[in-house]
Amino acid sequence: MPMKLLECDTVIPERERHIYVKEAGEDTTQYLPVSNAATIPGTLSERGCSFCGAKLVIGGVLKDTIQMIHGPFGCSYDTWHTKRYPSDNDNFQLKYAWSTNVREKNVVFGAEKLLKKSIEEAFDAMPEIKRMYIYTTCSTALIGDDPKAVAKKVMAERPDVDIFVVECPGFAGVSQSKGHHVLNMGWIHDKVGQVEPEIWSEYTINFIGDYNIQGDTFVLKDYFDRLGIQVIAHFTGNATYDECRSMHRAKLSVVNCARSAGYIANELKKIYGIPRLDIDSWGFSYMAEGLRKVGDFFGIQDKVEALIEEEYAKWKPKLDWYKERLQGTKMAIWTGGPRLWHWTRAVEDDLGVYVVAMSSKFGHQEDFEKVIARGREGTVYIDDGNELEFFEVIEMVKPDVIFTGPRVGELVKKLHIPYINGHAYHNGPYMGFEGFVNLARDMYNAVRSPLWKLAGENIQKEEAL
Amino acid sequence: MTTQTKELVNFIQERCLWQFYSRAWDREENINGVLGQLGELLSNQTPKLETPMDRCHFANANHLAREVRSAFPWLEEMSPDSLTKLIGGVMAKLEEITITKSKNGELHTQAY
Repeated sequence: MPMKLLECDTVIPERERHIYVKEAGEDTTQYLPVSNAATIPGTLSERGCSFCGAKLVIGGVLKDTIQMIHGPFGCSYDTWHTKRYPSDNDNFQLKYAWSTNVREKNVVFGAEKLLKKSIEEAFDAMPEIKRMYIYTTCSTALIGDDPKAVAKKVMAERPDVDIFVVECPGFAGVSQSKGHHVLNMGWIHDKVGQVEPEIWSEYTINFIGDYNIQGDTFVLKDYFDRLGIQVIAHFTGNATYDECRSMHRAKLSVVNCARSAGYIANELKKIYGIPRLDIDSWGFSYMAEGLRKVGDFFGIQDKVEALIEEEYAKWKPKLDWYKERLQGTKMAIWTGGPRLWHWTRAVEDDLGVYVVAMSSKFGHQEDFEKVIARGREGTVYIDDGNELEFFEVIEMVKPDVIFTGPRVGELVKKLHIPYINGHAYHNGPYMGFEGFVNLARDMYNAVRSPLWKLAGENIQKEEAL
Repeated sequence: MTTQTKELVNFIQERCLWQFYSRAWDREENINGVLGQLGELLSNQTPKLETPMDRCHFANANHLAREVRSAFPWLEEMSPDSLTKLIGGVMAKLEEITITKSKNGELHTQAY
């Protein structure tokens, strides 16, 4: 029974292995949804492609790097500015989209010359920028272009530039998760260890798996600055290309998003002996827990306690105001993967909100182990959910609010259920103490808005009267 | 499994990320490292912190010790022998759930 075949899936019964409803006394040795598996033909998947996982999620965040997309312009446009990750250098990375604009003739005759010309044009047009990522896409991977050879040639001709090549076309894996993997492994082996950072603190960390969504990184950096901790590299929120080349000099890797960047933390441990400490930087209590752990690692517990006390004094009353009003709210989380397990207990512990359904687009079984261990009984856990499943699950669990992306968000709006952007946030940042108050405020505004009820009323009928 | 072992296992399952690292060997290292130090801390001993990994395990173990002391007052009443037995039981159960009986198909993949 716990693996659930929804009514809408009777024509694709394979979906039963991807949907789980937790019952009392069960653990993940009995039931664990199949995940990170190919989407079943016929299902209306919400997944993104592997190239998107590399570019939109990780590489595109870097604030001093040209993102050259070797492919048709759509691949560039569709992974440009749909996620709001600002930077402290006037948002260079959000202003521009770069593409080699591959056309049919290039597919027939090859596109390496076009790539070289595009790289040179970009560097010439932006002479202050000396760093570049190149991404292959489906079309340029299929025709067999060799972007690494082109990058090598350009670097030989222009010794002041450095280029990193991500060879992860959209079709490389079953979801965007493959793009995370390819970028992580390529970066650690091709680039980490090439730059020596200036060390100004005896406490040095890499902060891994945070992408400065609406300023998350700025919140975290403020905490670490006040603790006297030097962040060698933020991977990759508000980071520079060269900061991320110097990750080998940190004493500790603090990991938030283990799905998109756990790989590089594992490799840093294996190659350089840097321990990996996973924390949750979403959640009020979780943030305190994470900071305490970092404090225990470096032996700076007093400083950490002072910071937590200060932050609690500032934000806890606000959080409690929302908690009082949000108690018992039913929430669904339909995002990528890690936010399911980061948020499910955090909203319950900090806000009294219950998560009744969760769907992951690209989580692996590791993510489902975490979320099922943390999540509630009776909650529905879905891998690679499809549109019809969402409608059926909404009927089953009747959530008051849904945290998801704009694409699925538009669907649920039509059912007059409030949605909050669970990827790029409504009004973030959502990380840290201040961030969780922002999340609570957005949730409160969503569930208390009269708009949803009004939207369901038939005004034509009233006009007729 | 005793009731106390079960309570502690459930608590750790809900609260701790270190038991769910990517591969079987990482999970084993963390279970032994963190719970080994947890046993020492609950017995009022000071764990040896000689390597960066020791300090990382300490970061997780010290926080867990604070939490379980507050959640389970009966821990304070336990004799050293019972405590050793309890931690051994928790280690065995966590290894079973997260490694030996885990349905996670990626646990034994050699590369990350």
